[in-house]
Amino acid sequence: MFFRKKIKFNKNINKKQQDDKQIPKPLFSNLEKNLDILRELYKECSDVVFRSFLIAGHTKAQLIYIKGLSNVEEMDNNVLTPLMKKSEKRTVNPKTLIEQTLSVAEVVKISSFEACIEQLSVGNPILLLEGDEQGFALGLAKWERRAIEEPTGELVVRGPREGFTEALEVNTSLLRRKIRSPQLKLKTLKLGRYTQTAIALAYIEDLADETLIEEINQRLKRIDIDGILESGYIEELIQDNPYTPFPQVLISERPDTAVSSLLEGRVVIIVDGTPFVMIAPTTFFSLFQSGEDYYHHFLISTATRWLRYLFCFISLLLPSLYVAVITYHQEMVPTTLLLTMVDSREVVPFPALVEALLMEITFEGLREAGLRLPKQVGAAVSIVGALVIGQAAVDAGLVSDHMVMVVAITGIASFTIPRYNLAIPIRLLRFPIMLLAGTFGLVGVMIGLLAIMTHLSTLRSFGVPYLSPVAPMKGRDMKDALMRAPLWKLNTRPHLTGEYNKHRQGSNQKPHSDKGGE
Amino acid sequence: MIEKGKISALQMGLLMYHAILATGILFIPATVFNVAKQDIWISPILASPLGFLSVYIAYKLNKYYPKDTIMQYSKHILGTFWGKMLGLLLLLLLITSLSVMFWQYGEYVVSEFLPHTPKSVIIGMMVILCAFAVHGGLEVLGRLAGMVFPVFFLLFLVIIILVLPDVEVKRMLPVMENGLMPSLKGAWVLCTWFAQFGIIYFFLPFLTDREKGLKFGMLSVLVVTLTLVVTNIIVIWLFGNVTENFNAPFMSASRYISLAEFLSHLESIVMAIWIAGTFIKLCVFYYVVVIGTAEWLNLSDYRSLVLPMGFLIGVFAMQVFLNSAEAAEHFRIVSHEIMDTLVYGLLIPIFLLIVAYIRKTIFKHKVRRTN
Repeated sequence: MFFRKKIKFNKNINKKQQDDKQIPKPLFSNLEKNLDILRELYKECSDVVFRSFLIAGHTKAQLIYIKGLSNVEEMDNNVLTPLMKKSEKRTVNPKTLIEQTLSVAEVVKISSFEACIEQLSVGNPILLLEGDEQGFALGLAKWERRAIEEPTGELVVRGPREGFTEALEVNTSLLRRKIRSPQLKLKTLKLGRYTQTAIALAYIEDLADETLIEEINQRLKRIDIDGILESGYIEELIQDNPYTPFPQVLISERPDTAVSSLLEGRVVIIVDGTPFVMIAPTTFFSLFQSGEDYYHHFLISTATRWLRYLFCFISLLLPSLYVAVITYHQEMVPTTLLLTMVDSREVVPFPALVEALLMEITFEGLREAGLRLPKQVGAAVSIVGALVIGQAAVDAGLVSDHMVMVVAITGIASFTIPRYNLAIPIRLLRFPIMLLAGTFGLVGVMIGLLAIMTHLSTLRSFGVPYLSPVAPMKGRDMKDALMRAPLWKLNTRPHLTGEYNKHRQGSNQKPHSDKGGE
Repeated sequence: MIEKGKISALQMGLLMYHAILATGILFIPATVFNVAKQDIWISPILASPLGFLSVYIAYKLNKYYPKDTIMQYSKHILGTFWGKMLGLLLLLLLITSLSVMFWQYGEYVVSEFLPHTPKSVIIGMMVILCAFAVHGGLEVLGRLAGMVFPVFFLLFLVIIILVLPDVEVKRMLPVMENGLMPSLKGAWVLCTWFAQFGIIYFFLPFLTDREKGLKFGMLSVLVVTLTLVVTNIIVIWLFGNVTENFNAPFMSASRYISLAEFLSHLESIVMAIWIAGTFIKLCVFYYVVVIGTAEWLNLSDYRSLVLPMGFLIGVFAMQVFLNSAEAAEHFRIVSHEIMDTLVYGLLIPIFLLIVAYIRKTIFKHKVRRTN
């Protein structure tokens, strides 16, 4: 009964929504009538400006724009000045006058109120004429935007220093500047009942699977919510498995990362208002790749990747292994080390599990506090956190020296994973495994690890198995996952779904010293 | 079809490898040593033809009915009633077999590893974990096998390399002291394990590359044989005549590893990785039981059966033996007298194949004659 009521209630809401949207569709030829409707729509909106004037001294016209979104200076010089110049010839048609004298590059003809609202909201001024069912939207939008800066969340030593910004046009231009081919396609759609956020779907024709684009398009179109403020809203509404903590899209701030994904046949989803673009489909192992891997020597990058895998394991397992060994498998520790361990643990009244949980939770708390702290107090707190608490906890006999070290290494380890949204679930899963380790020793650790592996095996990101190319095995793709093969070996694109454009470069790219030069 | 996922032939081979070897690598050396003495390494070679035969028969049956598992084609071959009866027998055998496997796992972990933990907890945890994996379907199992195998195999190699300083080759001499008979008797014991290859008939219909099914099935038998031969040789080189004192000699071998002072007492790590292998084995049989039951009951989806079946098997596994003496008696009977695996792995498929062959050929002739 309760559920039924709720459903009815929801239906009512939906109906109300639709009622609100009843706006007459086409523009009238009567200017006053049009203006009345627009004024009614924008009543109590103090930022909307209605400016009436006479074209060439005889035809009534109205310029409508939103303060702060349009370039007023250009409107003065390129719209109002030429149009208001009085002309001797009374027979001049205002429409041709607009076409001939308006020095504005982008002039779009509009004929409905809906289009009026759309153009106004992006900042384009609207020009309406007396006796004409058509209006003009002038491409004079200009609002305050952030300059292109280096992305702070994804730092590189070598590589381009530009990052996406909040403005969609800037972001698409960044992509276009890197991929000059017209095969880079951008589909735009608007989502969010009130925010009407623009969302661009970027892909390269012939590289991205068409069914994939269609699938993403379908999932996006399903979205019907009030507003979209960040790509995270969309991520949560389009991912394959809504319950998993593991990210099923790759989030990046870097155009070079986005472009390299585009070139592999993936789709980039850009959301207006956030510098974070989403790349789909993504796999577990691609979350370990940093754009920089391809800018350095392949041996170095391979070693770096292995280091990341190792530290990912450390981040997930080290406290659990420590707890398991100290509680159940003391024989594994070399005797001399065991003696110092026992020595330092002698004063600690808690079992290793409690000790580990205590320290790990404290560390996570410090980390979270460090993120939220105002910059001015950050330094003070980090000194207190790092030095005072750690040392004092040991001195007070709450934790052992070794545990502090384990926690510190674990804490640092998780930051070697280049994607923050993968580091979080791994840090999170550390806690259940710690509990298993404290109750069942290494058996528990293994059970926990197998459960995670099983979970990862069940995941898919837009149809692509999450653990590919390792499970299911795809030998050809593994050389860009388990290591970073030299560029002249990476001849094929990773296989995502369906038919794909396999070869990405000529087959003999390996440099030959005997053929070059002279 | 009831299973929508597909696996590659390679993944099937890996699944079968774990299904046979995960427990085999532990218990085979000591069990075979009872009869074959220092010739235990010959026994796997002598027993392997049985494995090849099971795979071949399953493959042949699959050729007759490419899209069906044994539950479905037993109906086609024997008619609905007798087919169902045979399916029931098969299921009962598989369920008991699986319960015993869970018990073995629990018993081993508790006795070697966590002596104070109740066995029900250990078994229950594993049942839940396996249920989770089986619920994911065959694809998930295939992927898991692909990930566990390299680790499992690497561990195997590492142990062998690390125990090499302690081996003495002369412990395996004299070879065939009493003729071929002891190793043949050992091979007979090994049939329990090799006959298990028969359950491949549950996987063959779900292959993406069916033409490779036979090849990778055979390859799997071959690799299992080689692994067993190497295991047995290492065990006999290391322990000689005291092998029978160990429950799981190969695992005990890891206790002998001592390298550069700190690389010692690795048995816990070895055990942890062995659990991963056993997990695959249990999942394989669990999956077989679940999908077999679902097909036997003509269900459209097997996932709803995973948890009830897990509960059943968990309870069976905890109640299957009163104590380890009773278990030892059971294993003695199963490995020397009445082999249940031989029944479901080899005898039933052979029977079905013969009937199918007779029906197909005779029926065809009849049709031709009437024409």
